[in-house]
Amino acid sequence: MLLLSCGPQEKQAQEALVLTDDLGRELTLQKKPERVFAFASSITEMLYAVLDTSTIVARTPSDDYPEAVYQKPLVSNYPVDYEQVLALKPDLIFTVEGITPLEVAERLQQLGVPVYYQKYRTVEDIFTGIEDIGRIMGREQQARHLTDSLRQEVEQLHQKYKHREDPLKVLAITWSDPIYVYGQNTIFTDKLRILGAENAVQEVFEQPYPALTREYVLKLNPDVLLGGTKKELEEKFFHLYPELRRIKAYQHNRLYKPDDNLMSRPSPRVVESLRELEGFLYP
Amino acid sequence: MRRRGLYFILALLLILVVMLLGLQVGSFDTDVATIFSALFHYNPDDTTHFAILHLRLPRLILALVVGASLAFCGYLMQAMVNNGLADPYLLGTASGASLGAVIVFFGFVPMTVAGLYLPPVFALAGAFVVTLVVVMLGYRKRQIIPAQLLLAGIALSSLVTAMVGLLTFLSDSEGKLRSVVFWSMGSFERASWEMVPYPAAALSIALLLFAFYQKQLNILLLGEERAQALGIRVAQTRWVILATVSVVTGFAVATSGPIGFVGLIIPHVTRGLLGATGRGNLLLCAFIGGLFMLLCDLLSRIIYPPAGLPIGIITSFFGVPFFVYLLFRKNYNFRG
Repeated sequence: MLLLSCGPQEKQAQEALVLTDDLGRELTLQKKPERVFAFASSITEMLYAVLDTSTIVARTPSDDYPEAVYQKPLVSNYPVDYEQVLALKPDLIFTVEGITPLEVAERLQQLGVPVYYQKYRTVEDIFTGIEDIGRIMGREQQARHLTDSLRQEVEQLHQKYKHREDPLKVLAITWSDPIYVYGQNTIFTDKLRILGAENAVQEVFEQPYPALTREYVLKLNPDVLLGGTKKELEEKFFHLYPELRRIKAYQHNRLYKPDDNLMSRPSPRVVESLRELEGFLYP
Repeated sequence: MRRRGLYFILALLLILVVMLLGLQVGSFDTDVATIFSALFHYNPDDTTHFAILHLRLPRLILALVVGASLAFCGYLMQAMVNNGLADPYLLGTASGASLGAVIVFFGFVPMTVAGLYLPPVFALAGAFVVTLVVVMLGYRKRQIIPAQLLLAGIALSSLVTAMVGLLTFLSDSEGKLRSVVFWSMGSFERASWEMVPYPAAALSIALLLFAFYQKQLNILLLGEERAQALGIRVAQTRWVILATVSVVTGFAVATSGPIGFVGLIIPHVTRGLLGATGRGNLLLCAFIGGLFMLLCDLLSRIIYPPAGLPIGIITSFFGVPFFVYLLFRKNYNFRG
């Protein structure tokens, strides 16, 4: 995923550094980046886990973890406040595919600030993403140390659950009117695989978070429904769609509320997210 | 005379056919035999039966009722202001309903109070409040001035749409935006047996009422002075139309969102078929509106399963070419 221009070039080009990001975009940096921040809260968490915190120069309104992030100056990422970004003099901005529009990245590039995109489909992709950041920032060891221990924990979980017969079918909703859910092509599916369960949505839709009908959910008939506490789901979901009280998850009272940030952020806390899901699936 | 009867029978038959087709489209595979056994030998434990009877059927009936309501109200509005550009949303109903729903989605009031899901309730309230203001602005010396009403409607709709835009812009979550998009383009996905009676009752009462007012309506098309001379109480007729349109459109919008174009185009289709002053125009207009909406709903679910495209997109895509065809047809006059 990361291509540092190496060989003879690297010696003479103390100043010029060429990176290729996950979208295949080529970025040229004048020097090794020393002032960075992220437009995505998940990467902000990665930066804090891997970097010397003095190299992180800003936070966005959605950043809330770790606590220390609140000491950094606030910069608006939606819409992007270009002047504020330039005033912070970053060498590089990290972001995730889908969070920052490409034209915003191009504009920043013209203004002299390269934007590095990451994208993830699996839990493993998160770890390679962390290692990429480590390499770009000259913190390979710290990154490797972190990913080694995370991988080990994931492997332990997988070993524990991989042979389960009759895997639980899990549906996670992100919004109830209309019904939007975590689709097949999200990391959520991989998290469930690790835990020996499966995403109730097997069909692959174009969008990662497809809209479904009541009938579709009725047909999926999930064993477990994630999206809110029993009370919240009763009020916001089953009250609106009383027909769905027929699904197994409702009948067997298997309704749970996962932490929004743990669910949605592909961050180093992914193991924490797995442990949370484990608690719901196998109480 | 014979032709009118034929159109009614044809519309009714087509409605039945499209409903039968619509009942077959969904996540559970269904054939005609399953539909009939669901209808006549309902087994509550069979989930396919349940889906047909409790999800698909109310949805189709809601689409039928809403399509009929919008077409019917469009016809009334065009007759009242004597202008073929009028539609039921002229009174600000659509924007008012959107604002009402958005206020709930954005958390200014709770989603449910005492077990009542509030977005449709607030949509209805928003529709009525905005309509009331538009009517007040379009009213002078105890009379509705159509031109003034038109302008008031346009101005106020723009203002209310800007307010919806402001709330949308300030929104902090993607989910809320999705709700707003769905709400502003219409959807029948929320349809249930508890919901259908409201718009259906409003429409039935209105259709019955205007069975007696059809003559006045046609005379109104001759212009205010001649209508007065022929003994029509123009002012009174206008009030009846206004009250009817705001209630019937209000319920349609509150249950399904503001679905565009039906209320504009179907009245023209009806007049194209039966002439500007045909008897039974209003009823046929409602029939064709319902049929058109059923077709659009079917298409939306076939093109983009499972959720279906927002219905307003389909009504415009398939409505506009037809409208253009009408525009170029020589023997159709677009005035009122």
